[in-house]
Amino acid sequence: MSAKVLLHVGTPKTGTSYLQDVLFRNQRVLAQHGILYPADRFDAHFLAALDLMRLPWGGLETEAVGAWDRLAARVREHGGTAVISHEILATASRSQVGRALESLGHGDGTEVHLVLSVRDLVRQIPAEWQENVKHRSTISYAAFLDQVRDPAREGRIATWFWGVQEIPDILDRWGHDLPPERVHLVTVPPPGGPPEVLWRRFSRAFGLDDVDLDLHAERANPSLGVPETALLRRVNRAANRVVEPAHYRPLVRELLAHQTLSRRTRSPRLALPPDVHPWAQQLAASWAAEIDRRGYDVVGDLADLTGAPPLSRWSDPDRPAERQVAGAAVEAIRALLLENVRLREEEARLHGELAETRRALERSYLRPSYRLREKVVRRLQTGRAGRGALAVYRRLRGRSSRSA
Amino acid sequence: MTSGGTSGERRAWGWVASLREGGTTPWSAWTGEAQARGRVLPGAQQLELLRRVNLAGRPTPELVRRVLGASAPGRGRPDLELVGAVDPGPFGPRPVDPADLPTDELVRVATSVLADDLVATALPEAPSARRPWRRRFRLVGDPWLADAARAELRARGRAAGGRGSVALVLATDLGTMLTHAWAHRVTGEGAPPWRAWLAEAVARDRVPPRADVLHALRAWDARVGRERVRLVLDPAALPGLTGTRRPLAAPPALSADGAELARRTAPVLGLLVRPERRTRVLREVLVPRVVALGGPPLVVSPEHAAWVAAQAERVHRTVRAAGYPVVGDPGALLPREHAGVAEPSEDGVLALAVRLLLAGPAESDSRDRRGDEDR
Repeated sequence: MSAKVLLHVGTPKTGTSYLQDVLFRNQRVLAQHGILYPADRFDAHFLAALDLMRLPWGGLETEAVGAWDRLAARVREHGGTAVISHEILATASRSQVGRALESLGHGDGTEVHLVLSVRDLVRQIPAEWQENVKHRSTISYAAFLDQVRDPAREGRIATWFWGVQEIPDILDRWGHDLPPERVHLVTVPPPGGPPEVLWRRFSRAFGLDDVDLDLHAERANPSLGVPETALLRRVNRAANRVVEPAHYRPLVRELLAHQTLSRRTRSPRLALPPDVHPWAQQLAASWAAEIDRRGYDVVGDLADLTGAPPLSRWSDPDRPAERQVAGAAVEAIRALLLENVRLREEEARLHGELAETRRALERSYLRPSYRLREKVVRRLQTGRAGRGALAVYRRLRGRSSRSA
Repeated sequence: MTSGGTSGERRAWGWVASLREGGTTPWSAWTGEAQARGRVLPGAQQLELLRRVNLAGRPTPELVRRVLGASAPGRGRPDLELVGAVDPGPFGPRPVDPADLPTDELVRVATSVLADDLVATALPEAPSARRPWRRRFRLVGDPWLADAARAELRARGRAAGGRGSVALVLATDLGTMLTHAWAHRVTGEGAPPWRAWLAEAVARDRVPPRADVLHALRAWDARVGRERVRLVLDPAALPGLTGTRRPLAAPPALSADGAELARRTAPVLGLLVRPERRTRVLREVLVPRVVALGGPPLVVSPEHAAWVAAQAERVHRTVRAAGYPVVGDPGALLPREHAGVAEPSEDGVLALAVRLLLAGPAESDSRDRRGDEDR
């Protein structure tokens, strides 16, 4: 039974990919300090979350069968501290939370700590829209904002958004059974500051200050600018019907969005429209007051939730500057061409290998023993008795060389 | 929410206790109170589903426990609070009167419980004996017809396949084949709703591959030669063509609501078992149970009838012109009037799900449902 479990349940777009990358790559170092990060693959905790919440995810869920129970079993078997981290856990229902906590040993001697990393709504709202677009959505920014601001919250967009972003509600669901001192809120610092500040906050919340970790990032979930996101949305509209999710992930999300378009950092950044800005800041202020009242352990500053003031020049992703979109599109075409070149070269290499294999096979056919055996089989196949003998031989040999 | 609590909370726990005992009073009419009997109040969706189950029969205590503990799978509305039980605070989704919940939300929860029942049911054993002197044939074409015939013939020791097989391309009128193709996809890799799927085919002006008789005929013609291809439009001729005497049973007549329930349950099953087993669970466990409960089948809606008729005429004309060997009347390819409904009904799907939940797993699977074959 784990003595202590640190359960990081969100929220998305708060540096979680970086944190999970550091934890995944440093499993050995962590183990030397008695800390278990149980993951055979980078997305192990994501799959476990899909399993816990019975959440289909474009076919990936087929790899998630039984993943939560396996993860929980590894945590229970560990004697020290264990860390679990995935941001979509934020949306778990109360009964799923109950099952998760029980499976990790809560109420049975294990000290469960909840960690929630949070960022201001001013950045989270456009970031969530961008995440939707990176997951095949074609919804406009305006329609997304309308759905998010609709008090009824009945659509899929709104239920998901508030499920993973409404901090007091997430803490109600996940922190219901935990004393406030075991609930740790890590706030993401405002933009423009030194990038290591966020890591230092994570490190403190997870008790990693004394662990010498390799902090070199291999994975991140980089952001796109306005014209790049607008381009991706147009790509979705044109290609969703013909590109299956299994191909979309590597080609559109990885190659185009993450590896190509995210490098265009000089384009206008996504932001809240000026008329929505006050609503978001007001809401964030009410959240900060509620969190303060509840007495959680805040790592950082609740003032971080307020967010930056509105931009003096806001760029509307539903009406992007076409010249900028064209520039992004050229970059995208270049990346696709290069990928195509790589695939053609790979195809040519495989053709060469296949031709060589065929030649080797033909050489083996030319050996006298093969020709003799071939002659015997041909002769046997001309008569009923011979065919029967061949069938008996093949059955006895036990190979699946019988005709289909 | 903790034990004790406000009068609203005690009223909610009173309703929970009543539903546990088989109560059917709607939340808005409930007045009794009780102490908390759990970590948190079950969600409005779970409670209303249990009330509907109670209205339809007498659930076992185990089913009651599972319904109250279930969460709605997939994306959608979270577990909701009961209006009047808790103060609507400034955070979280609004509390609801469970009677106002869309049926769709209750179906979501029901599919999660039903999926557990389905994977707990043993899969039928497939007979493997082959008669060495059997006639050699393959069953292709309409996959719904072909699968049913193949399974029955296999049970009689007349497995399809073998050297020199004749390809029997099974087909019927295009409207029925389209419903078969959709049902086959629903119980296979999954499918969009019937109307959306059909509208997509019409918009593309292309018959979906599983209902495309011409494609099947051409493919088998090219593969084995025309002398070994038959277009079979007369089901009564199938025993003779496959070397058996007794007539074959009709293929399973899946109701519109049954097919939709399968479509809604398939994604949840995808999180419980591997895809190959999911298909078997849907086709060999869920479909027979749903078929046994009856209900009107799907038919093509009037808005798409003209397109289906035009496509059927084209197929009919091409088959005759190409001279494929046909067993039966080629006119069977043309549209026919069928009794049925143009789309499933949400209430019907929920009623069906409730009946299946009350029936429980047909037979417990002795193996661990997440055993080796699922990994």
